[in-house]
Amino acid sequence: MIPHPFRGLHEAGVLGMNNRNAEVIMARNPRSLFPLVDNKVVTKELAARSDIPTPELYGVIAKHGDVRQFESIIKERDSFALKPARGSGGSGIILVKEKRETGLITESDRTLTIPYLRYHITDILSGIYSLEGQDDQAIVEALIHPDDVFAAVTYRGVPDIRVVVYRGVPIMSMVRLPTAASDGKANLHGGAIGAGIDLKSGLTITAVHRSAIVTHHPDTGDPVSGIEVPHWEKILLMAARSLEMTGLGYIGADMVIDRDRGPLLLELNARPGLAIQMANRAGLLKRIRKVDEAPEDTFTTPEKRVEWARKNL
Amino acid sequence: MKRPALAAALVLIAISILIVAYRIVSLGYPVTPARPDYVWTFRFDGMLQGAGKDPLFLLSLPSQEHGQIILEESIGSGSMNFNLLKEYDNRIGVWSGRPQREGEHISYRATILFQHKGLDGTVMPLRSSYPYGVADEQIALIEQLTGQWRAMSLSTRTQVVLGFARTGTAGSGNDPGLVKLDKALEGYDDITRLLVLLAAVSVPARTVEGVELVEGVAGSTLPWVEAWTGRNWEHIDPERMEVVSSAKKFLPLSVGGMSAIRISAGRLSMKRFELTRDIMSRWRIFFERVSRSDRFLDVWSLFRIPPEFQQTFRILLLVPLGALLIALLRNIVGFQTFGIFMPVLMALAFRSTGLVYGLGIFAAIIAIGYTARRFLNRMRLLLVPRMSVLVSFVIFCFLILALVGNKLGLRQFMAVGLLPFVILTMTIERFFVIVEEHGVKTALQTSAGSAAVAVITYLIIQWEVLQITFFVYPELILFVMGLQILVGRYTGYRLSELVRFRSFRSSGR
Repeated sequence: MIPHPFRGLHEAGVLGMNNRNAEVIMARNPRSLFPLVDNKVVTKELAARSDIPTPELYGVIAKHGDVRQFESIIKERDSFALKPARGSGGSGIILVKEKRETGLITESDRTLTIPYLRYHITDILSGIYSLEGQDDQAIVEALIHPDDVFAAVTYRGVPDIRVVVYRGVPIMSMVRLPTAASDGKANLHGGAIGAGIDLKSGLTITAVHRSAIVTHHPDTGDPVSGIEVPHWEKILLMAARSLEMTGLGYIGADMVIDRDRGPLLLELNARPGLAIQMANRAGLLKRIRKVDEAPEDTFTTPEKRVEWARKNL
Repeated sequence: MKRPALAAALVLIAISILIVAYRIVSLGYPVTPARPDYVWTFRFDGMLQGAGKDPLFLLSLPSQEHGQIILEESIGSGSMNFNLLKEYDNRIGVWSGRPQREGEHISYRATILFQHKGLDGTVMPLRSSYPYGVADEQIALIEQLTGQWRAMSLSTRTQVVLGFARTGTAGSGNDPGLVKLDKALEGYDDITRLLVLLAAVSVPARTVEGVELVEGVAGSTLPWVEAWTGRNWEHIDPERMEVVSSAKKFLPLSVGGMSAIRISAGRLSMKRFELTRDIMSRWRIFFERVSRSDRFLDVWSLFRIPPEFQQTFRILLLVPLGALLIALLRNIVGFQTFGIFMPVLMALAFRSTGLVYGLGIFAAIIAIGYTARRFLNRMRLLLVPRMSVLVSFVIFCFLILALVGNKLGLRQFMAVGLLPFVILTMTIERFFVIVEEHGVKTALQTSAGSAAVAVITYLIIQWEVLQITFFVYPELILFVMGLQILVGRYTGYRLSELVRFRSFRSSGR
């Protein structure tokens, strides 16, 4: 039934775009639940209820009239992250690492002024960065101080860990490592490296950079495989809990490892991309089928699901 | 999940095929409406002279039957009156009144389409009566003499009668019965003899007057006899007493013994029949026919709406096909395009600018617009005002183009006003966002994909054959919908994913 040129992909269990949209997202993710993950403020509240740690929230600016509250929000803070609640792909995010007399210094060493940031917030509020141009909110939260484990393979920015969760089972994972090409952003489209993580051991395996397999970080020159991800069990557990948290059956959970607080949930994505398959050199479809073939009662609690995943995938 | 979609698609496709089939089979629609077909133009010209009293001139006109369809006709009557009357199966044009002194030029013209298989009456016509003036005792004698022929089949009877009419008693070795028969028929002309004989053996027959369907001019009509041979009327050449093969075509004017031309109190100083063969696109032919039919689907046909709106629908009906194409190219091939409708709207815009200019103008405006958008970005305008600035900018570009086009005499530049400016504005914004988020390469790829899809869509909607086919059979939209649903249920890999996931193909096994 499968036409010849596609047979190789089919046998490798690769999940294609059409199949992901029709059979996985449409079947597992009811549209009505999307708002839970499209807005980071909502996601944060839900995470708090499920005891999933997120970066500390300093404040939310929801109305144009509240923009002047911004200064009081950051008054006591030396560093912070300013984000649109509905942003995607890391757009509209400003990371401030310190305050000086001259102004605010960003992660990429630009100096910004308070009026500039206020202007940026009004941009956010009018929906410039939101997925469908709707009105948005601006989030001010704690700046992540990344754990040093990936320091040797990170060019600026914060590496983040993506776990794809199917029916609450973490089925595939990768860490996204910023490069000079990606401008310090952990965005694969932008040129970041994606390194697959073995579910069982928590060790990085292969890595993909712009659809090519790489072994070393292009900027730092250090090997990207064989790195042991700390808090691995906890990370998988946090990802697995996203099912109870949102009800969505197919999720991409994005997490960071903070030097002091450990793994924190950054955001959830109801339409996670397919590039993770290349970072792992493994097909998602194969693992989805394995989950579907397992008996129902295997997956009653997050703990059971993580245990099953680490044993079987 | 899969079943209802498949069922819906199949139902839509089936409905569409059924309606098309109904139109073709029952309503006689052309299977290939865009194909050219031949039509005949029949023309009669005459010069009518009065003779003291006002003349009356009667001309039998072609009628709408036996697989011939009159698409249009016109009458020239000069200062005289014209009336149309029906006499049995004949349509008769009547010119009356006072002609000019030097004679009145009268004319009749009809464009006629001959269908290859006329749905002739399959009902056997009544046995025809004997021609006027044949005495009863003579009839009794002839019927008695031809008695043994009546047992034969219809077509054999005709052949036997024709054989006798052709050779008389010569070939039969002086059969006394045939000699008697020949004697009984003495004094009648050939056609009357034939009609009497056919009537005697109960073969329905009639005389017809008309013209042969060959291009050229004829001075008069020719008579022939038609005999019913069970399924249709057979044409008999009365000169040679032979059945004429059905390959030869004739245009009957008067059926049943009436003269095709009758005249009282006047004379024709000139008359000519002219036949010419023309090529006409079938849908044109159809247009003429449908606009006069009163059948439901013909009344509710797009041909009935005013012509200025018809053109719009000819294009509009192909837009779903363009959308289907985009669905195919995006979901099965894996093209990247700006939005779903942008390529279709681009294709529509190309209709007024032409392909090359259209693509050029699009590329230029997006390039200039992108530069402007970069600049706007530095001004940090809010979303809605920023878009409105872009719209103004795009329209300003149109303005400049139109003025430059006017100076250079390039109409394509002035047609620019019809380009979908909203789409251009949105495209500039999308292009900018893609450049920002995914890089210039992806943005250019998406542009190339959009342009390619727009060009293909343009070629489709400009294809006249397709335009006409969809216009004649608008229910084909349901067919397209069915296919669109099927594409929507295609969950296999995209062709582009062969490239994207190529690492799996080489080592993944």
